[in-house]
Amino acid sequence: MKSRRLVAFLFLSAVFFWGQVFAEEPIRIGLQAPITGSFAIEGQMARQCVEVAAELINEQGGILGRPVEIIVADDASNPRDSALAAQKLVSQGVVAAIASYGSSVTEPAADLYERNRVVCVAYGATAVRLTMGKERRYFFRTCGRDDSQGEFFARFAVETMGWRRIAIMHDNQTYGKGVAEETKKYLEPYIREGRAEIVYYDAITPGDQDYSAALTKLRESNPDVWYYTAYYPEAGLLVRQAREMGITVPFVGSNAVPNEDFVRIAGLEYVVGTFMTQEPLPQDLNTPKAQEFFAAYRAKYGDIPSSPWPIYAADALFALAQAIENAKSTKPDDIAQAMRTMENAEGITGPIVFTERGDRKGVPYAMYRYNEKGQLELFTP
Amino acid sequence: MGVVFSRPRTGRFWRFVPVLLGGFIAVFPFLPFVNDYWVDVGFFVGLYGLLGLSLNVVLGEVGLFDLGHAAFYAIGAYTTAILNTTLNIPVLLLLPVSALVASGFAYLVMSPVIHLRGDYLCIVTIGIGEIVRIIIVNNPWGITNGPNGITGVGFPTLGPFVIQTPMQFYYFVWVVVAFVAFMLLRLQKSRIGRAWNAIREDEIAAEAMGIDVRAYKLLAFTLGAALAGLAGNIYAAKMAVVSPQSFLFMESALLFCIVLLGGLGSLPGVLLGAALVVIFPEVFRRFASFRLLFFGLALMVAMIFRPGGLLPRRREILELDGLDVQGFSAEKVSPGRIGQVSLKEHSPIQVPCELDPCPLLEVQGVTLRFGGLVAVNRYNLAVYPGRVTSLIGPNGAGKTTLFNIITGIYRPDEGRVLFKGEDITGLKPHLVVARGIARTFQNIRLFPSLTCLENVLTGLHCRGSSGFVSTVLRMPFQVQEEREFVETAAYWLYRVGLWEYRNELARNLPYGRQKYLEIARALTTGPELLVLDEPSSGLNERETEELMEFLQRLLQEGITILLIEHDMNVVMGISDWVSVMDMGSKIAEGSPWEVYNHPRVIEAYLGKEEEWVGSTS
Amino acid sequence: MRVFFEQLVNGVTVGSFYALVALGYSMVYGVMKLINFAHGDLFTLGSYLGYTFLVWGAAWITERAGLWWGVLGAILFAFLANAGAGILVERVAYRPVYRAGRLPLVVSALGMSIFLQNAIMAVWGPRFQVYPSDLVPVASLRFLGLSLPLLKVVILFLSLGVMFVMYWIVEKTEFGAAVRATALDREMATLLGIDVQRVILFVFTLGPALGGMAGVMNGMYYRSIQFSMGWNYGLKAFTATILGGIGNIPGAMVGGVLLGVIETLLAGYIPGGGAWKDGFTFLILILVLIFRPTGILGEKVAEKV
Repeated sequence: MKSRRLVAFLFLSAVFFWGQVFAEEPIRIGLQAPITGSFAIEGQMARQCVEVAAELINEQGGILGRPVEIIVADDASNPRDSALAAQKLVSQGVVAAIASYGSSVTEPAADLYERNRVVCVAYGATAVRLTMGKERRYFFRTCGRDDSQGEFFARFAVETMGWRRIAIMHDNQTYGKGVAEETKKYLEPYIREGRAEIVYYDAITPGDQDYSAALTKLRESNPDVWYYTAYYPEAGLLVRQAREMGITVPFVGSNAVPNEDFVRIAGLEYVVGTFMTQEPLPQDLNTPKAQEFFAAYRAKYGDIPSSPWPIYAADALFALAQAIENAKSTKPDDIAQAMRTMENAEGITGPIVFTERGDRKGVPYAMYRYNEKGQLELFTP
Repeated sequence: MGVVFSRPRTGRFWRFVPVLLGGFIAVFPFLPFVNDYWVDVGFFVGLYGLLGLSLNVVLGEVGLFDLGHAAFYAIGAYTTAILNTTLNIPVLLLLPVSALVASGFAYLVMSPVIHLRGDYLCIVTIGIGEIVRIIIVNNPWGITNGPNGITGVGFPTLGPFVIQTPMQFYYFVWVVVAFVAFMLLRLQKSRIGRAWNAIREDEIAAEAMGIDVRAYKLLAFTLGAALAGLAGNIYAAKMAVVSPQSFLFMESALLFCIVLLGGLGSLPGVLLGAALVVIFPEVFRRFASFRLLFFGLALMVAMIFRPGGLLPRRREILELDGLDVQGFSAEKVSPGRIGQVSLKEHSPIQVPCELDPCPLLEVQGVTLRFGGLVAVNRYNLAVYPGRVTSLIGPNGAGKTTLFNIITGIYRPDEGRVLFKGEDITGLKPHLVVARGIARTFQNIRLFPSLTCLENVLTGLHCRGSSGFVSTVLRMPFQVQEEREFVETAAYWLYRVGLWEYRNELARNLPYGRQKYLEIARALTTGPELLVLDEPSSGLNERETEELMEFLQRLLQEGITILLIEHDMNVVMGISDWVSVMDMGSKIAEGSPWEVYNHPRVIEAYLGKEEEWVGSTS
Repeated sequence: MRVFFEQLVNGVTVGSFYALVALGYSMVYGVMKLINFAHGDLFTLGSYLGYTFLVWGAAWITERAGLWWGVLGAILFAFLANAGAGILVERVAYRPVYRAGRLPLVVSALGMSIFLQNAIMAVWGPRFQVYPSDLVPVASLRFLGLSLPLLKVVILFLSLGVMFVMYWIVEKTEFGAAVRATALDREMATLLGIDVQRVILFVFTLGPALGGMAGVMNGMYYRSIQFSMGWNYGLKAFTATILGGIGNIPGAMVGGVLLGVIETLLAGYIPGGGAWKDGFTFLILILVLIFRPTGILGEKVAEKV
């Protein structure tokens, strides 16, 4: 009898004290991601990453002494669901939202967040138009933009590697076509000077498995380099099939291509020697944040995320946390102001600084190459 | 084709439901727990309700297998987006423009394929849906901006009043839904709606009753596309951005589910279906990745337990008290009186009649081959007015095929068919009916899910002329026409003794009465020649007697009759002239007794025999 | 010219996959007049089952008997397991809905397809799975100057073999006559004493089983599989069946191969054609149907008026 009462007392005290530590109301931050639908992998990983990041933040005392709570809303890679998901998050009183994956899916959400004056940080939306089109005071993104990557490849291919005959392949979706178009645009000056020509520019259909038709056509166009600007599942199949067909053209993938699954699908033997245009990888930055994060993630899920975008989602949370700390307020205008001006945000992918229009400042791209062990190494020609 | 389970309306309670529902929708945004999110959900329920209604016209009313409806939705949305962002045309003005463009597209694209059956039409519509989406993605001439889509679509403005908040959009879409529902309701209860349902139930019978099946199918598609175009405009305005991702095949499949979940042809059902399809995934958000799993499960469960839909279509029960059926006379409903026959295509060949009296129908040297088989072989037949002509012969002789040639279902390889001196060879069945020939079928072809009165009313289709506009606006001329139609149909129902079954579904009738229903339906077209295919089959002796009496009375009222018969009592009892067919060719012709004792006829029926017991020859 | 020939071979290869899936699809479709949207997902299930078998069980077999026995084991496993799955799907989603007509069946099939796809995602996860390379044959043949993977040849001949077996069963055996009778008029078939239940059982075991087999072969050839891959194949199977003519087994095969060839040639020869490939394929299908409304090899049934 006595012991039971004691246990109850201890239990209640624990709750009371614990409650005191976090007696404050949590800071709600929304995460909009494709939990279902064709990009479910990205969405579910994004959720995992953001939740791990939130745990890390809370372990270190939360934001302004308050715990951060992540509210997830599924947008199923569908514009209509995206609008509803955004509206739901807004109605649930989130102070900011991390949204979303896919530029055409992010667009309606961004409009909605803007109208409701809620800060929105995208992690997988690279279309230039999102920040350079309409003026958005509350929109930011931690990922890069199609034009920076396109510009980098064009310059690198012609100036550094001396490749003349360029083949560009995409998948006719917003991201893939976006990077492809930007690349084409930045190749224009070189084409005019006669230093480059585009011998192949076409799309494959994502979801298909047999690319022999496209690859045969690619081979016949006799390119010096083959730039594939879309996602890793098709990239893996393409590389494997191309090499098995005997096509030896150097392969360059855009930043959505390189990850563990790409290596698995293509097969290690074929991956060796392929190039990737990529933002500097955590392994090369060695940020303390990255180490901390990957350790925690690995402890929970046994492995590190296989795609770059979920990591940008986690970085979005880190950026928001820092901004709120800097502003000492959870009011959207303050947060937005802080986001725009802060210099002290540290993310997994390095320091997070935003331009006036909300883009991630100074996202440098580099050329990486897969070595014999299936790891990415910085490439120096 | 398909199943439409119908239940009779019960009780006064149901009359209040639409009012209650309307009231709920009107005050919904002001309810306590409703925030912007729920208002947006309400908006999407309305939008998908509109889309569901648009597909319902095609799938629910006419039974056409359309799995590519999102194409019209997309065209409406992109028309609005393109014209608004490039030419600055106001969004509200683009509402009818989008509808027009979408319906024009539907007309052009569906015309060459509208004749395709069931599943073939299905794959074609899927193809059209995908082709439209792929065209959009590939940004032809730079107008669609490819996978990124078009942003910056403006808000609809009505003078100084701008529709931009969730609540304003909510009311906007529901007002449009109300107008559309109202219009569709009027169409349902009209000549057009009945024609559509008849096509869904039995295309061939519908054509044989005077309905221009092809034209009405196209009308359904055009209207359905127009409504989807409206929805596209509203969607573009609400989202301010259109991208091809919103118009995947799954969207068309979802619309399909909405119509089926609600109940084919049921307007409230469709709205309920839309509500379920939009709200279900929202309510199930907490289940995250299992959301769609449950949705798939829910669809299966719904079809197992409620395949007819959650609110199946109820056939209209016409209140016909006060209609004095006994007071009708044959004159009042004779062919000359009912409306004006609209003959749009007159055959240029008018053959003058050499004989006297003139035959009403002449079949001259008609031949039809199916592959290597000669079904009808240089057949000649003359049917004189005011008489009963019988066509007899063993099974498989080609009698029904000859009927099909006469009524326009088949075109003969050789020969021609003259009716009242006019060459009607190869005219489509609905035009043959308009000229005054009506038929019944060997295997009864009624419209099973329609009431008896509705079945009979379809016969009047070709005698009417009220179109889309006059129906929707309920112009007095259309109201008057409907009234006359009902009176005529009622009269014939009474004549065949089915008046008490008028509101019963045709499929529930016993066999014998179904036969009479088919005859009544044929008679309602106001024919001069009635073509009956084995009218007495399946009837017992007494019923056959009654049938013969009935046919005799029709004769007296000036209707000529051509029959296929197996029952010798009928042939002998009422025929004035008999033509005998065997293996496609005529083997005998003459008065009943001449034919009855004709050796070749006996041989054809009974086989070669030396002696025939009971013969008088 | 060499390129054309090469593209033709490409087309026939991808076409033989379509044909294999279409054969299983048209089995069900021809007899039940049921558009089995779940067929694509049964195909996916087969490929996952094959994968599971290879990862868990094949190493044991391969060590003792060799590579091809492991492959055979995987195919057999997927074949049988899918047959079971097919029966389950029929019992649960279709049988209770037959009496309601064709349209409710379509919705039920759509529901089953969504359910299966998400169930597969729930069980095996949303990530791409890759068939283990060491357990899959990679030998090549040289033929007319082209290097053909052995697997490609095996698949083609397997499809042909399956087609002939099915054709023989359906056209030349008594049971096959029962199947055809049921396809033409189910009610009449029961009245004639045909055990329609057995026919339906046959059709729903063989159809999905063939789909499963196609799934395993697909996984072995292309290596990576994912829960949403079946949708595309299901649609192609439907298209191939219609192209070849409903209810026509050789037609399904012809339709499948033709579809593959058309797609490949379009992608290969039209500038920027890769992006328009699917659109053109559907356009050709529509044109074929306008001029031959019952498909290339035509349907055999005429409607009696």
